[in-house]
Amino acid sequence: MELLNLSIRELNNLFITKKTKPSELYSEIFNRSASSEAALHAHLSLFEETNLDKAKKSDERFSKSENVGLLDGIPLAIKDNINIKDEKTTCSSKMLSNFVSPYNATVISKLDTEQTIYTGKTNLDEFAMGSSTENSAFGLTRNPWNTDYVPGGSSGGSAASVASRSSIAALGSDTGGSIRQPASFCGLVGFKPTYGSVSRYGLVAFASSLDQIGPISKSVDDARIVYSAISGHDSLDSTSINDEQIELPFEKNATIGIVKELMEDGISEESKKEVEKVIDILKQKGYNIKEVSLPLIKLSISIYYLIAPAECSANLARFDGVRYGLRVDGKTSYEMMENTRAEGFGDEVKRRILLGTYALSAGYYDEYYGKALRARKKMVDEFSTIFKECDYLISPTTPTEAFKAGEKTNNPLEMYMSDLCTIPANLAGLPAISIPTGLSSNNLPLGVQIMSKPLTDNSLLDFSEMLEKELEFNSTPEGWSK
Amino acid sequence: MSKKFDITNIAKLASISLSDDEKEKLSNDLSVIIEHVQALSDLELDTNIEDVYIHPLEKVLALDEDTEKPSLTHDEAMSNAPKVSDGKFIVPPSLE
Repeated sequence: MELLNLSIRELNNLFITKKTKPSELYSEIFNRSASSEAALHAHLSLFEETNLDKAKKSDERFSKSENVGLLDGIPLAIKDNINIKDEKTTCSSKMLSNFVSPYNATVISKLDTEQTIYTGKTNLDEFAMGSSTENSAFGLTRNPWNTDYVPGGSSGGSAASVASRSSIAALGSDTGGSIRQPASFCGLVGFKPTYGSVSRYGLVAFASSLDQIGPISKSVDDARIVYSAISGHDSLDSTSINDEQIELPFEKNATIGIVKELMEDGISEESKKEVEKVIDILKQKGYNIKEVSLPLIKLSISIYYLIAPAECSANLARFDGVRYGLRVDGKTSYEMMENTRAEGFGDEVKRRILLGTYALSAGYYDEYYGKALRARKKMVDEFSTIFKECDYLISPTTPTEAFKAGEKTNNPLEMYMSDLCTIPANLAGLPAISIPTGLSSNNLPLGVQIMSKPLTDNSLLDFSEMLEKELEFNSTPEGWSK
Repeated sequence: MSKKFDITNIAKLASISLSDDEKEKLSNDLSVIIEHVQALSDLELDTNIEDVYIHPLEKVLALDEDTEKPSLTHDEAMSNAPKVSDGKFIVPPSLE
């Protein structure tokens, strides 16, 4: 039995019918994650002993039929910018290489209630800033489909972990596409929920008005199960929302918008073809399809690269060598802080802090940060108008398939452009999902993105699951499929 | 929008010491990025900054009740500090 390929519901059913035990699954998962490290480096830490004990307790619950839910005994990998009490949270940064969290993120407390097991912490671009996981201070992660290629980023470790069957699903965080883009590059489902629907408490902040935690998984149903477990209002997060979900139609009476600006220059023919494939399926099923225009999407990279660095420069001011993290000595406190931040941060983090500092500095605030905020508001309004006539918006998830390691590291702007299709959903707070659709001529996965209006996460998942069934994408990376 | 990018001043504001090589490289990178974001300067916007929300769903940020609640202990809060003495953070002097 290929346990590692099974879905969460299938595994839960095997536990209930006593055909396998959580500890047996955990041993297989641990062996796989440990053996994949040399080739992929998806993880920064693996939790063998503490979690084998948890798995055995899960065995006992199932043997007594006292299991608590679908995630009981299911091994998930956690991106290493999410705090697990008494475990390291490094954010792939020298700044936090020895930081041990004294508390749990809310998502971890919620998963603990579900008796979920953690395989380990996954690699990321330092402080989640990047699109390839090459910005990790602890070495790059490689794509399980072809190790010459990047797995995407910043949640590249989480995606590589799930794609290599080293975990059943994983948590990532998404500030400009950091769940959806690596999911697409690794042939997986990546779901960024509505902003505020999953608590950010205990997620190390990068850009607080954009960050959102979500799942990376092999199927839409697995993503739904993890999302259901981690979502909900949290008074520990001042941006957490407590609103009811809105239901959208997903049968033939739903209207589908194809985003014109994300099917133009800068998008590869192969990425466009995946969208066209989805359009054909939806047309055959009788859906109403229309092209829609959101002109400000063309400026989304510019808006994002003012707002995200501005928020990053404020959030990362806390790393000053005083209360936690690295300290590099200096004669004065000020010199100590400058030396600590020079030594502790990598190039991309410095670049973004400096850009954000510039955008917020006296004389530039109104024309950079202020203008970006106003443009963001206009983009939100454009989306609101479009969602009066469309239920779901479809686009490529990424402009191209995965790129080779090292291909974009010397050109930050080119790296930024790889998030062109995913950034708008963060700016507008929308739920957005990437589902795998097919393989490129290089045998690398491609995906499409579906967006819907805020608070329609459940409908978006239902619609995506319908498409997933029609697409029948069941390829797995060679060498990791069993 | 275009104005001279003074990397030394920005690095000082950001409290990051940079080598000369870093200054040159980062300055070049940032100039390219700033040139790209200049695209916003041509955008006509009728939105006032006062009408802009930080929350993308246009929610007002929630304030917590000012009541005592369980939190980290003092020792837990200090547990990752690089240098402590007698329950306090130790830092170098502010003046030489």
